[in-house]
Amino acid sequence: MEETKTIAHEIGGIQNDALRFGLYGVKSDLIDSHPLQSSLASTKKTQEEMKRKVLANTYGSAFPLKTDLDRQILSRFQRPPGAIPSSMLGLEVLTGSLERFGPEDYLNDPRDSETFRPADMHHGMEVRLGLSKGPVCPMFI
Amino acid sequence: MSKLEFDVPAKGGFSFDLCKRNEMLMKKGVQPPSYRKTGTTIVGLIFQDGVILGADTRATEGPIVCDKNCEKIHYMAPNIYCCGAGTAADTEAVTDMVSSQLQLHRHHTGRESRVITALTLLKSHLFNYQGYVQAALVLGGVDVTGPHLHTIYPHGSTDTLPFATMGSGSLAAMAVFESKYHEGLTRDEGIKLVTEAICSGIFNDLGSGSNVDVCVITKGHKEYLRNHLLPNPRSYVSAKGFSFSKKTEVLLTKVTPLKEKVEIIQSGEAMEE
Repeated sequence: MEETKTIAHEIGGIQNDALRFGLYGVKSDLIDSHPLQSSLASTKKTQEEMKRKVLANTYGSAFPLKTDLDRQILSRFQRPPGAIPSSMLGLEVLTGSLERFGPEDYLNDPRDSETFRPADMHHGMEVRLGLSKGPVCPMFI
Repeated sequence: MSKLEFDVPAKGGFSFDLCKRNEMLMKKGVQPPSYRKTGTTIVGLIFQDGVILGADTRATEGPIVCDKNCEKIHYMAPNIYCCGAGTAADTEAVTDMVSSQLQLHRHHTGRESRVITALTLLKSHLFNYQGYVQAALVLGGVDVTGPHLHTIYPHGSTDTLPFATMGSGSLAAMAVFESKYHEGLTRDEGIKLVTEAICSGIFNDLGSGSNVDVCVITKGHKEYLRNHLLPNPRSYVSAKGFSFSKKTEVLLTKVTPLKEKVEIIQSGEAMEE
């Protein structure tokens, strides 16, 4: 087995790279690198909650629960990690992102980034089975 | 609430990775690179049949003019156009994105896009980014409900007006509009007024210059008059030729024309592959 000369970039959610994310500590755990980042995340969350409440008020509380269940099921149907990425078509139809077009569709495509790392099939399977920590497709080297 | 989605593949979008590093560099005194703005004069007005939009064509990068003939009137939909002031990249990206969203919406509903749809999409996007996307826009178009003209500020506030100006030359252009605008303008009067307002911005504001672009939108028809007026022509070669000062003796004059005529001679055989 080859010895890895590089330290993993993101292990189990902790962002390891000091030059990219700053030094790790209590403050970096709580506050995001830019106020806009936390603002965008909280807006997204608030809008999702509002939509859910509206649906619950209109159609009854069982309907959003059923939608959540559908979303969990659809997000689990993925190809095994490897060369071909899964298109997540069912999930996109359910969340409505198939009909939306936003900055994430033309900016910063992960396949075009300088530090693109082709998906490691074995590491991905280990993560799925719970034998390794870390995201299925690590972004940086 | 438990995690709803299970390790979905990563998407693109804004990356905040290097913000901390940039903050640290700025504290140490490193100047961030300057970006291209469109320090501009953009105007719009409603005339009797529709909307006329106008813009100058200078793009500046700090004190330097980086584009002498750029296009500031962006296409949004066949019946909607948008002028953009502020950071050039931001205006182009935002207008392209909303134009794509409008096209998706048109495919979905099967109807012509409305100007307030474009307005709402632009406004919510700009507000979401809290003014970091520096795009000040003048949006105009004609849809089933009639002609509409709106201004959108970088933080997301909007205005609905019969005549509007934006950009660094907005005060000069607004002065012309305030004194000469009246309801029920004809097409020619409208174009003349818009051209005057843009020229006032071109000649009185440093950030605006070069030529005038005009776009006329009426019900079912649009006309994009690119470089409608060129009040600042560039003369590259003097017509009189180069004149030497009196003490210089001209020994030899040789004139080489820059363009040579290319003659196509019929060759014998065509190339065989």
